Amino acid sequence: MREKKEALVLLLAGGVGSRLNILVQSRAKPAVPFAGHYRIIDFSLSNVMNSGLTKVGVLTQYKPLSLMRHLGMGEAWDFTGRSRGVKILPPHTGFKDSDWYRGTADAVRQNIDFLEKNPADEVVLLSGDHIYNMDFHAMLEYHRFKKADVTVGMMVVPMSQIYQFGAGIIDGQNRIIDWEEKPKNPRTNLASMGIYVFDYRYLLDSLYRDREEVDFGMHILPRAIDNDDVFAYPFYGYWRDVGTIQSYWEANMDVIRRNSAISPAEWGIRTNIEADGRPADRPPARFGNGARVRRSMISAGCIIRGTVENSVLAPGVVVEEGAVVRDSILFADCSVGKNSVVDLSICDKRVRIAGSAVVGSGNRHDVPNSKQPTHLYTGISLIGKEAAIPGGVTIGRNCIVNSQTGESAFISREVMDGETV
Amino acid sequence: MLKPSTLAMILAGSRVDELNVLTYYRPKSAVPFGGFARVIDFPLSNLLHSGIEQVAILSQYRSYSLINHIGTGAAWDMIGRNRGVSILPPFKDNNDCSDQTDWYRGSADAVYKNLDFVKYHKPEEILILSGDHIYKMDYRDMIAYHHKKDADLTIAFVQVEREKAHRFGLAVIDSEDSETGGRVTAYWEKPEKPEADWASLTVLVFKPEILYRALEENQQTGSFEFGRDIIPQLLAAGKKVYGYKYRGYWGYTGTVSEYWQANMDLLGENPPIDMEAWGLRTNMEHRGIRDAQPALILDGAEIENSLIYNGCVVEGKVKNSILFPGVEVGPGAVVENSVLFFNNHIGADCSLNKVIADVNSVFGKAVRIGPAGENEAEQVTVIGWNNHVPARTVIGEGATVYPNISVEQWLEAKSVGAGEVLK
Repeated sequence: MREKKEALVLLLAGGVGSRLNILVQSRAKPAVPFAGHYRIIDFSLSNVMNSGLTKVGVLTQYKPLSLMRHLGMGEAWDFTGRSRGVKILPPHTGFKDSDWYRGTADAVRQNIDFLEKNPADEVVLLSGDHIYNMDFHAMLEYHRFKKADVTVGMMVVPMSQIYQFGAGIIDGQNRIIDWEEKPKNPRTNLASMGIYVFDYRYLLDSLYRDREEVDFGMHILPRAIDNDDVFAYPFYGYWRDVGTIQSYWEANMDVIRRNSAISPAEWGIRTNIEADGRPADRPPARFGNGARVRRSMISAGCIIRGTVENSVLAPGVVVEEGAVVRDSILFADCSVGKNSVVDLSICDKRVRIAGSAVVGSGNRHDVPNSKQPTHLYTGISLIGKEAAIPGGVTIGRNCIVNSQTGESAFISREVMDGETV
Repeated sequence: MLKPSTLAMILAGSRVDELNVLTYYRPKSAVPFGGFARVIDFPLSNLLHSGIEQVAILSQYRSYSLINHIGTGAAWDMIGRNRGVSILPPFKDNNDCSDQTDWYRGSADAVYKNLDFVKYHKPEEILILSGDHIYKMDYRDMIAYHHKKDADLTIAFVQVEREKAHRFGLAVIDSEDSETGGRVTAYWEKPEKPEADWASLTVLVFKPEILYRALEENQQTGSFEFGRDIIPQLLAAGKKVYGYKYRGYWGYTGTVSEYWQANMDLLGENPPIDMEAWGLRTNMEHRGIRDAQPALILDGAEIENSLIYNGCVVEGKVKNSILFPGVEVGPGAVVENSVLFFNNHIGADCSLNKVIADVNSVFGKAVRIGPAGENEAEQVTVIGWNNHVPARTVIGEGATVYPNISVEQWLEAKSVGAGEVLK
C-alpha cells in the first residue's frame, strides 16, 4: 500500500572528483566503477530504493553521458512505474546563455520547477559520490519527530580529517548550534555527510530568498542554524568519500577483506549491468588449471589462468598463464598477458597489457607523480581506458598512462617512478 | 517491415527422459545449466541468433518455473511489434467427447490443440524444436535447405555411435547432397537394433499445410508423438522428407549421468560448449542473478578448472566443478567434479565428489558425499532441493536424496548408502 505523500529525493551527481585523475577523464565521479560491476552512484541509488523512496531527480553536469546510460529508465532500482521515476536534470540555459551550476544550492535552485511539480512533505538531498549504507526512512522519521526544518546526516571522523568537511557543533538534543565549513582549526569531529532532509516548503523558501546563496554548506545551512530548527542525525557505520585515488583503492580493498564493514551483497546494492553496450549475460568466471586466486573479487566473464591476489576484477578480465595481479583494481575487459605483473595499480576499462610487462614495479612508493603529486603519492599507478602496454615494458610506482595510449607511445622500455605517458 | 515468416514451437513440457529428482518440480527444459542459465536457453538463444522471433512454448508439466524463466521474452529480444514469445499451456476445450482429455497427450497432440494459434500467424514454415537439448545451430541454414529441396518436412540429424543409437529416432539419409543432407529413406523411432547412426535432434521444419493435415490424420490414432507417429506417417505417404546433417556439439541429457557429462563439457581449456562464443542468453531477472555481487574468493580458497558465477563465496577447494550464483563453500571443504545449483551452502570441512545438488540446500559441517580423497566416483549423487543435511552425514556415491527431507528423516537415516534412495 502506498503511503500518502512520500519524500522527494534529489541526488547531486555533478561532481567532477578531479583528484580521481584519469578515472574521471570521461565520466563523472558517481559513474566511476567500484567493486567489480558496481558504480559509485549505485550505493546512493540503492539506499534510496531500499528506503522505499521512489521519486528521484538526478542533477548532472560534468560528463553526464556515462551516468545517463547507467541510469537508463531506472529499472535496476525499481524506479519505473505509475508514480515512480528517476529523472535526469541536466543544466539548462536560463536567463543567461551560460548558467552552469555555481554550487549545490544553485543546482537545486535551477531545477526549482521539478520541485514545484512534485510536491512532497520533505526533500531528501544526497550526493552520488559516497560509499555507504543508510536507511533514509529512519532519518525521515527522526526529522519528523524533531519537527526539524533541516536535518543533516553527520558522523564522527578523525580530527585530522575534519578540514575536508562541514563541521557541526551540537547541543544535548542534537540541535546544531554552530557550523564551520571546512575548518582549519576544528572545534568538533562531527562531520556532515552531505545528506540533508529539508522540509519541502522550507527548502523552497530558502531557495527563493537569495539567488546569491549558491551552496548548502556555505550559505543555506549557516543561515538556517542561526534562525531555524536544524538537527544532526547521527550515523554510525561505513561511509567513505572515495574522492582520492588512495581512498578509492582502500575502499575497494575493504570489500574483499573478511568481516570489513562493507558488503554490497548484504547492503542490497543494485546496479545496471546492461549499461555497457554489451549483453549482460556473461558466462560464469572460468578458472583454469594454473589459476591461483586468493582474497579477491572475481566478476562474471573473467578468465583466470594466472595468479590473482588481493585484487578486485570487474567483468570480462582475462589473466593469462604465469601472470600475477596483486593489490590491484582492474575494470571491465582488461587483459593481462602471459608472465606479466600488475602490482598496486588501477587499470581502467579495456586496458591491454601484453606479455612479460610489469605495471607497478620496484619499491619506491614514495616518489610522487611528477605532474600530479597531490593525486598519486602512495605508490598506486594508474592506467587509462583502452591503453595498450607493450610486451616487456616496465612501469614504476605512481605512474600515469593516459587513456588510449598506443604501444608506439612507449619510447623507452621503462617508465620511471612518477612518470606520465 | 517484413513480417516474420517462421513460427517456432518449442516442446518444453514433457517428462520424457526425466532427470531424477532434478525434474521433480520442473520440466527438463527449466533445469539449470552452465553455472547461471537453463537448458531451454540454448534453443532460445539459437532462435535469437537465427533471427526467428515468433516463438511459442508448449508446456504442461510444472510450468511455473518455466513461465518464470521466460518472463516477457525480452532476454531473447522476443518482444516488440512482430516479435513475441507465447507460452501455450493445456486448456479446457468445449468439445463434448467426455473420453477425450484436455491435457496434451503427446507432442503432436500439443501442437494440434494449438492449431488456431499456429494458423493465426500464417507462417511460411513451422519450426518444431525440443527445449531439452544443448547445441548451437543456425536454423536459417536448415530452413534454406528445406526451401531449396522444396521439402514437406526437413529433420536435423546428428551422427551418434551405433551402440548408443537405440535411444533415438534414427534415419537413413541418401547421398543427394552428401555434406548437407539428403532424402530420408527410412526412419525408426528408438529401435532395439539400430540400423542407422543419424539420430534426430528433434528439430523439424514443416510446410504448414503438410503439418496441419498430418496432425489431423494423427488424431484418428491413439499415439501422438512427432518421432513415433508423424515422421513415419509422412514417409509412408510418400511425402518429401529430408534430413539435414548437423555436425556440431550435441548435448543430449537423457540421464543424470549424461547431464553431468554435459556439464563437464563446459570445463577445460577448449570446452566443447563455449557459452561466450555461442552467445548464450538467459533471463538475468530470474532468481535475481543480475543483482548478485561478484564472487568473493577468500583466503584458503583453491580453485582449479571450474566455473564460478557472481554471488559465490569460496573459502575451500573447488576442482572440476560448476558453482551457480549464491553457492558458498566453507573453509576446509572440498568440492570436486560437482555441479551445485543456486544458493547451496557447503559447510566447513565437507567433501563432495561427483554431486549434483539442486537449489537451496545447506550441508552441515564435515558432510561427506561420494568417495573421499583421490578415488574417483563412478556414479553421480543427486541431492534434491531444500535439504538441510546434518553435520557429518555420510552419503555414498550414486545415492539419490529427494527434495525437502525432514529433520526426523535425516535423524533416522543417519547416512545414505551408495546407490540408495532417501525419500
